[in-house]
Amino acid sequence: MRPELFLRWAGFVLAVAVLAVPFIGSPSLADLTFRTCTLAIIAISWNMMAGAGLISLGHSGFWGVGSYVAILSANHFGVPFLPSLLFGMLGGAMIGAGLALITGRLRGIYFAVATLAMSEGLRVMAVMLPDLTGGAQGAYLNSALFPGALAVNIAASCGAVLAACLSWYVSRTRYHYAFRAMRANERASQMLGIHPMLYRVSIVIVSGALASYAGAVSVWYGGYLDPGVAFNLHITLMAQIAPILGGIYTLAGPILGTLAAAGLGEVTRQWLGHVEGVSLLLFGVTLAICVLYLPKGIQGGIDRLFRPVAKAPLADDSTPTRTTR
Amino acid sequence: MNLLPQFLIDSILLGGLYTLMAIGFALAFGVTRIINFAHGEFIMLGAYAAFWLFTGWGLDPLVVMPAVIVLGFACGWLLFKAFIERVLTAPNINQILLTFAIGLVIQHIAVILWSGDSRSTTPEYALKALTIGDAFIPYGRLVGCGVAVLLVAMLIAWLKWTEDGRAVRAVAQNSDAATLMGINVKGIYALSFALSSALGVATGVVVSFIITVTPFMGFPMLVKAVAIVIVAGMGSIVGMVVGAFVLAFAETGFAYYVTEGSGWAEGVAFVLITAILIIRPYGLFGDAEA
Repeated sequence: MRPELFLRWAGFVLAVAVLAVPFIGSPSLADLTFRTCTLAIIAISWNMMAGAGLISLGHSGFWGVGSYVAILSANHFGVPFLPSLLFGMLGGAMIGAGLALITGRLRGIYFAVATLAMSEGLRVMAVMLPDLTGGAQGAYLNSALFPGALAVNIAASCGAVLAACLSWYVSRTRYHYAFRAMRANERASQMLGIHPMLYRVSIVIVSGALASYAGAVSVWYGGYLDPGVAFNLHITLMAQIAPILGGIYTLAGPILGTLAAAGLGEVTRQWLGHVEGVSLLLFGVTLAICVLYLPKGIQGGIDRLFRPVAKAPLADDSTPTRTTR
Repeated sequence: MNLLPQFLIDSILLGGLYTLMAIGFALAFGVTRIINFAHGEFIMLGAYAAFWLFTGWGLDPLVVMPAVIVLGFACGWLLFKAFIERVLTAPNINQILLTFAIGLVIQHIAVILWSGDSRSTTPEYALKALTIGDAFIPYGRLVGCGVAVLLVAMLIAWLKWTEDGRAVRAVAQNSDAATLMGINVKGIYALSFALSSALGVATGVVVSFIITVTPFMGFPMLVKAVAIVIVAGMGSIVGMVVGAFVLAFAETGFAYYVTEGSGWAEGVAFVLITAILIIRPYGLFGDAEA
């Protein structure tokens, strides 16, 4: 079978399985699925921005904003579950729009640093505005509004499937080529008639909204939020590890990577969970190995497996572009 | 009570430390054009080295500093040769993720080996203070600032007057032209990276008797160093000093003059980064082409 076709079927089966688990899975399987789904959402969201040449080190910022908007709208205004998720996405989209507009001219490293600054700035705000956010003590979600574990699990599963569909849809449209051109060279892409600012703002809005959705669902799952949980660097890290591990800039990459990362996380938790810091250590090692030896991730490995010989390696945009200094 | 003298003293002492921290970080960034997200972990390792030598053998942090610097230099060199050299021409994203991953690994090795507990070294001078009028000058910070200024002066002298130092500056300005001049650019990259790591551990030794030592201390310091470099722009040592003092004055000012300011002061670095990136993306002292 052709690998594309195989992946398409595998994706379909996976989507059905993910949607079925909340109904028929055991609680522990549902829990694992929930965590995998939220990871898949932020991985897809990160990969979308990376695909347009925007390296994010601030995905925990989007996540945290989604979490806070959801919990605060529920606690202060009694907003129920689903609308609060929408508000969370709206919050993330607004932060994304602001970020993209503010960083309009920045590229590469400078953009990455700006996203890091955004997420840490938001964390400091969450700590320092205790009247609004509950400050460092954190806040508990109003349990009267809790829609039940099943609803939250379904929301996470649907979110992951819809995010995957969205990224598939984007990959079929001309936007995909526009983003690729921007990634290779933003100035040159302008000459092709692409409006980089417009595309940049829209992709960051979509990406931010997706990551915020994951954050908003998670706060309903956990029921508690403090700035450390909301703006945890760990989220940023996982959002980039999964696409890198699976295959950056590809459609299936973030999902393959999410499965691999979730599996790795689960194995470490079972065997070495008692040692503090060991799981993050392993993720760091994995990330370094991937960057050094497997820059195209699992997807790249699969491609190589199916096309063992022939064809000179395609000149793709991962070829370094040296700029004169 | 008049806060002004105390505010000035604290800011200046902090600014000296920040200068050392930022110049150590900027040396590698300016020459290799790779942001070393693991620089903060070198600061942390330096602080732990000072702590263990102090508690284990009672050695004063300032006495062990030269040895720790040599060790930091060697580690930096190895790290460069083993990993960083492979991504010199790779896309930005690979460089960022690789150094990020290295930092993460070092940090969590520290967590596993030494736990997350807070520690600090307590040489005698760290506990004393000098009082002039209303103002209060902790000896620890004074000594730290003095050492920092000394190290920065040594680095500047080295960059200015030695053959290798000139080569480093040439590569930082234009690596292609430097290659044509017969400079071993890769060697200079390795040298700068190793020196940057050495200055990182030196920063760590100094802060070990000023702030608490934990495995997680590196990242906030890294962010501050990034903020200073962004404020300063690339390739200007004067700019770096100004940037360090801007940050120090802004943070201390917040802590003294704003209600609950010490909490907000943590965010100053981020506000500075954002503001500068919007107004002058190439920094106060950088030129637009850098």
